[in-house]
This record gives sequence, C-alpha cells and structure tokens, in this order.
Amino acid sequence: MSVKKRKTHLMRQVAGLFLVGIVMTGIFTFIMMYLDTNRSVKSQAETHAKEISNEVALAIREYPACKWLLQYWYDHTKTLEIEYDVTFTEADDAERPLQTKQKSSLFSERHPNIQLRYATEAQLKDLPPEDQKLYAEIAYSWLITRVNQIKRTYSTSFLFCVATDETFGTQVFLFSAADEGAKRGTKYEEVYPLGHTVDVDQSQKEAMCSAFENSSHSSELADAGKYMDFYAYFDTIGDGHHVLIGLTYDLQSDIMAQARRGTIFSVAHQFVLSVLCLGVMVFLVLLPLKKVQKSIRHYMQNKDSAEVIKHLSKLKSRNEIGQLSEDTIEMVKEIDNYLGEIQLIAAEKERIGTELSIASQIQEGSVPTVFPAYPDRAEFDIYASMTTAKEVGGDFYDFYLIDDDHLALVMADVSGKGIPAALFMMVTKILISDRALMGGTPGEILTFVNDRLCENNDADMFVTVWMGILEISTGKIIAANAGHDDPAICRKGGRFEIEKSRHGMVVGAMSGMKYRDYDFCLAPGDKLFLYTDGVPEATDANNQMLTLDGMLQALNLSPAGTPDEILNTVRARVDAFAGDAPQFDDMTMLCLEMKEANESVQTLKVEASTDNLAAVTDFVDAFLEAHGCPMKAQMQIDLCVEEVFVNIANYAYSNGGDAEIRLHAKDGEVTLTFLDTGTPYDPLAKADPDITLSAEDRQIGGLGIFLVKKNMDAVSYRRENGKNILTMKKRIHSEGGTLK
Amino acid sequence: MELTVKKENGTLTIALSGRLDTSTAPQAEKAMEDNLAGVTQLVFDLDGLSYTSSAGLRVFLKAQKHMNRQGSLVLRHVCPEIMEVFEVTGFTEILNIE
Repeated sequence: MSVKKRKTHLMRQVAGLFLVGIVMTGIFTFIMMYLDTNRSVKSQAETHAKEISNEVALAIREYPACKWLLQYWYDHTKTLEIEYDVTFTEADDAERPLQTKQKSSLFSERHPNIQLRYATEAQLKDLPPEDQKLYAEIAYSWLITRVNQIKRTYSTSFLFCVATDETFGTQVFLFSAADEGAKRGTKYEEVYPLGHTVDVDQSQKEAMCSAFENSSHSSELADAGKYMDFYAYFDTIGDGHHVLIGLTYDLQSDIMAQARRGTIFSVAHQFVLSVLCLGVMVFLVLLPLKKVQKSIRHYMQNKDSAEVIKHLSKLKSRNEIGQLSEDTIEMVKEIDNYLGEIQLIAAEKERIGTELSIASQIQEGSVPTVFPAYPDRAEFDIYASMTTAKEVGGDFYDFYLIDDDHLALVMADVSGKGIPAALFMMVTKILISDRALMGGTPGEILTFVNDRLCENNDADMFVTVWMGILEISTGKIIAANAGHDDPAICRKGGRFEIEKSRHGMVVGAMSGMKYRDYDFCLAPGDKLFLYTDGVPEATDANNQMLTLDGMLQALNLSPAGTPDEILNTVRARVDAFAGDAPQFDDMTMLCLEMKEANESVQTLKVEASTDNLAAVTDFVDAFLEAHGCPMKAQMQIDLCVEEVFVNIANYAYSNGGDAEIRLHAKDGEVTLTFLDTGTPYDPLAKADPDITLSAEDRQIGGLGIFLVKKNMDAVSYRRENGKNILTMKKRIHSEGGTLK
Repeated sequence: MELTVKKENGTLTIALSGRLDTSTAPQAEKAMEDNLAGVTQLVFDLDGLSYTSSAGLRVFLKAQKHMNRQGSLVLRHVCPEIMEVFEVTGFTEILNIE
C-alpha cells in the first residue's frame, strides 16, 4: 500500500456522532423549552397574581378602617415610626415584637372600649392625634407581618401596595413585603420602605391605568425588563389617589430555570440512550466484526484456512455479520482452491519452459553454428546468425556442400511464430536439404518441397524461401525465390545493393507450383547478404521500422569487413535502433564472401594467457596447413608465434586482456599480425643478446625476440589507436607459386 | 611433451620428446632440478623432440650452468630444426652436442 490511511475506530466515529446529536438536541430542546415556558409561565403568573392580590386585598379589608388607615399612612409617611418585618405567628402572641406589643398595650389601656382589630373609622377619627398615630403604627406592623406571610407562601419576587395620583406618573409605596432577613432600602431591587416614591415607565403606567379602568379586581402585567409587574386596583382614597396592589415576578429566571431543567433532562435521556446504543453496537457488531477481521488477517499471513474456518464457525449470529463470516469462509476455501490450481499451472508452465528450452537447443543445433564453417576452404567465407523472438522461431538459414564444388545456401521464414512455426521450419529444412542432396536446381528442389509440404498442410502454414546453389569454382549462383526478401549483393570495393529477383509463390501454400531458376555471378571479393524480414522490420519504441534502406545503411557501414564483422555491425545497428522495444519477429542473417583466389585472411582473438598458447598454435597451424606450408617453415613460424604470444601474455597486461592474431596469406607469403591493448612496448627496440658469451655470462632475456628476428623475413612494430601491433612476414612458397 | 628420467651411478639421463615450449618447459626444468643432487653427468636425450622455443633454451642454459659446477652436460639426438635454433642463438658454442 503506497498511501497510508489514518486509522479510525468505528466506535469513536459513532460516539462522535452521538455526541454531536446530544449537543444539537440540547440546543434545540433549550430553545423550544424557552419559547414554550415563556408563554405558559406568563399566563400562570397572571392567574397566580390575581389570587395573591385578592388575598392581600382581603387582608387589608379585615380592618374596618382600612380606607382611613391607607389615607393616614399616605399622609404621614415621614412621621410614622414603624417596626418592619417582625417575625411572629398569630398563635404565639408572646413572640410579638415588644415595641408593637407595648404600643398595643398602651392603646388598649387608653381606649379600653376600642378593639384594636375592629376599630372603625368613626371611632378613630375621634381619637387624639397621638393615639391615631399609635393605631396607624400598630396596624401597619400587623399588616406588614400578614403580607410577609402571603409573600412567603406564594414566593413572588416583590409584593407591595402603592398609591398613585390620577396621572399614574409616580408610585408612592405604602407597604412592601419582604422575606426574612431581606434588606429594606431605597435602591433598585431592595425592598422599599413606606413613603418611597419611584417614577414608573410607560408599560407600568399603562398596566396601572388599565387595572384602574377595567375593574377593581382586574390586573395587568407590565414588562419591565428582567421583571414582570402585576397590578390590581384596590381603592381610591380621599384626595383622589388610587391605591393598587402590585406584584413583581422574576419571570426570566423562572423561564430559564425551567428551560434548563427540561434541557438537562432531555440531554441526560439522550446520553443514556446513546450509551446503551453504543453498548449494543459493541456486542452485536464490533466484537463479531473484529473476529472476522482477525481471521482474515491471520489467513493473509499464514494461508491457514482450517484455522480461519474453525474461528469463524464459532460466530453464530444470523445477521449480516454472520453472513459476512460465512462468505469469508467460502472465499478462503476458494482462494485455497485457486492457490492449488496456480501451483499446478506453475509446475506445468515450468515443464513447458524446460521443454521449450530443449526445443530451442534442438532448433539451434539443427543449423550450422560453428564458425568458421569451412576453415579449409580458402575460396569463400560464410557466417550466419539467428535470433528468435520467442524461445523457438520460424526463421532458418542453412548451408551445406552438396559436393566439393557446390555450396547450397538457404534462407527461409515460416509464417507465424513459436512452436508451430518451429515444427514447420524443421520439416521444411529437412525436406530441402534431403532433396538438395539428390541434385537439381533450386527451382526443382523448391517445386518438389512445395508439393510435399502441401500434401498434408492442414494448418495452412507456408514458408518463404530463398535458395541458391553456388558453384564455388566459378562463383555462379543458380537461385530460386519463393516469396522471400531479395538478397543484397556487394561487389568488390562497392556497396551493398538489393539484387532484384524473380519471385515465386510462397512454399506450402498451393500444390503444383513451378519455381523458376535465375542466376547471377559472384566474382572474387563479392559478398552476398541473405536475411529475413525481421531485420528491415525491426521496430523501435515508437513503432517505426528500420526499413530496407536502414538495413542497407547498416550493411554499408563497413562493406569491406569480413562476413562475421558485417553481421555484427548490422546486429549492433538493429539493437541500437530497437533500444528496449520488444521485438516480435525472428531475425536471421547470412553473409557469404567470395575470397580472392590467392588471398586468405583469418583472425583469432583470445585472452592473453599462456593457457591459450595451444589454441593459438593450433589456429596458426591449421591456417598454414590449409595453405600448404612446408614443415620447416611451419615450425619456425610456430616458434615465433609462441615467443610473441608468451611475451604479450606475460608482460602486456597487469590485469588481463585480449590478444588478437590476424593471419593473411597472399602470393606465397604469410603475414602474421599480433595486436594487444596493453602497455606500449616495442620488443624490437631492445639490442640483440650477445651470443658469443660463455654459458655463465649468458642472459636468457631477449633470446625469444632474437629468434623471431632470425626466423622471419621481416618484423615490424607500430603503436596505433592504443594498440601494440607487431607484424611478421615469412615467405612459405617461392615467388609466383600458388597456395595449393 | 613426453619426459623420461633415468638416474644411475651419478649419471642423470632425461629423455624429451614432442614439443618443449612455454607450457612444457617448467616440467622439464623441475625434473632436472629435483634429480640433480650428486649428478656428475647430465644427458638430455632429445630423440623425438621436434620443437623448442626460448623457454626450452632457458632450461638448457640453466642445466649448463649447473653442470659447469658439478660435472658435464651432453645433448644427444638433436634434430636439424632444433640444431638450427641452437646455431642461431649461439647455443652450439656453449652446449656439448653429440
């Protein structure tokens, strides 16, 4: 795997999704709850407020002189000395605040006929002013205690009673209920004392106005920012001031608290559900899935299907995961089967490969591959090569002496490639050579072979053939061309050119065909080049073909070279042209050179080592024998060859290298040339050894080269292109004599 | 090259036949040096030896130098081709050829 993916866990992904869901639900629930409770809390508060204001109104009306009291309080806000917020219960009179208690005792003492609770307005009016003040203070204290109780019971933020003029512009607080310990004062959010006057805003004004106009018990809510005000009209006192009972609710925090409660409940609910869901997922999905995954991984590493099947069979779930595990078992079994099959196929392939390689060897062995092919024939030199695109190919070349003076040359290309082509090639090759040895011209031979091949050619294969028979003594070639590429001919000193010929039908296609002969002559020094279409049709990476012109150019890079050199040049050119592009066709070439009658050249290149001395000597001896060299001269030449070659082998290279020996015979004179790429060294520069010294004084060095000089007619040295070149000449026949 | 060594009464006879060249000369040299102790007369029988190069000459020169100190050296049955090599190199002057 080239790209490494970051690993995540399904569990984490799902948990993340749940978390997002919970957060979203929380937000939505909160908004919905808020909107919803906003409405319900307001209507609840309104109903609630009516009840409370009624109760407060009743508490006030318990005093028969309530109107007088309200008026008195309103008129004497500055002078009344009031004890606020005394905690006591009606049941336990003993705990009444001492001050109020003292006042009430004092009042009862002075006016025993007046009951404190039930004093009427008429009775009070007749009292002296200090007793009226006393009574107002006592009643105020009692009423405030009662109202405090009501507030405690109903838990409103503020509960109060105000007097306002007809314009409803300001409120004068008559009394205001306070919780135990609450601070009384005139600052915002403190519980206002008697007589504190505040300005009202528009909504409070409207609410008060509306409460006054609708009825004595109607009520209105005024939205005053954080708080909601409620007013109920109570009465109007003497000088035209309206008295209203007011309540203030902290609706906002109520609503928030409710919405928060609802949200917490909903989120908690969701959370529990999510955890349950995850748990179920772990047990029903993740754990079984992990088991399957582990088994698959185990199989990938060990290819042990039995283990996988054993593991997965334990998985009993019937859902998709159960199905997955069953499918995995099936897949593993199938992979096992495939592996077995692949092993069989591989073995089969190997067997076929071995057979193909043997077939390839047989095919190679069926054409002459030892060169020089006729070292004893000085009249011509022949060299051929075959490169198959597959292990075996359909191309072939062939040459053989029909008799001492006739050399048969065959170049052929079977349609198709591979084993079928190779089989057809073998049949064709054998038919042609068998028929050729019976005599006849190429035309007759191909006519015969064509008929034989057509007899049972169910595969509809065919072969293009160029066949020629060279009369060695005259250089005349009789040839027939069955649909093959025209040969190229290079006249002595010239360039290779295509020699157009008469084409016949390909061999094996149609029986009864007659093949016509044509002839041409090769003079000494001329060369004939035969090839199959794999050469001009070699393709490069861009699918461009070498073409016939390209092949001729390659041939003409060194038209004067030996057949061996020419084929190597062409092959190197084709290889360079094709580059790495795969070749689809076989490539077969053959080159024949007619030697000039009295000229002969041979070359040997071997590693410069004394181990190769025998090979060099044999090579030279074979050449000399072929040219009828006398024994004595041969021994002298052998001696020189040994001295020079051993010198190169011992001294030319420090790390090994090659030595090349060229033999050239012309007009009874042999020229031997030794080439090496070693340290520059002129063996002739050294002075001759003194051969008159006694044995004790003699040095063995230099004796070899001295022998060479003595035995050869001429010896010369030159350094050329990084090569040491030593040339030796020796006449082996008298002037004008022939080699044979 | 074929090589036969015979040693009796202080006379060592080494018979060589075939070709005495770079590859075979070390054999002949070793055969000589291994048996040289106590030898007063060394005989090289070259009957059948048809070829020698400077490597062979080296062996004969070495033999001559040894025998100058402890006795004498004789070469027998030298063929004309090898004789010519000896003549060309002046070895006829230093070797006792019968």
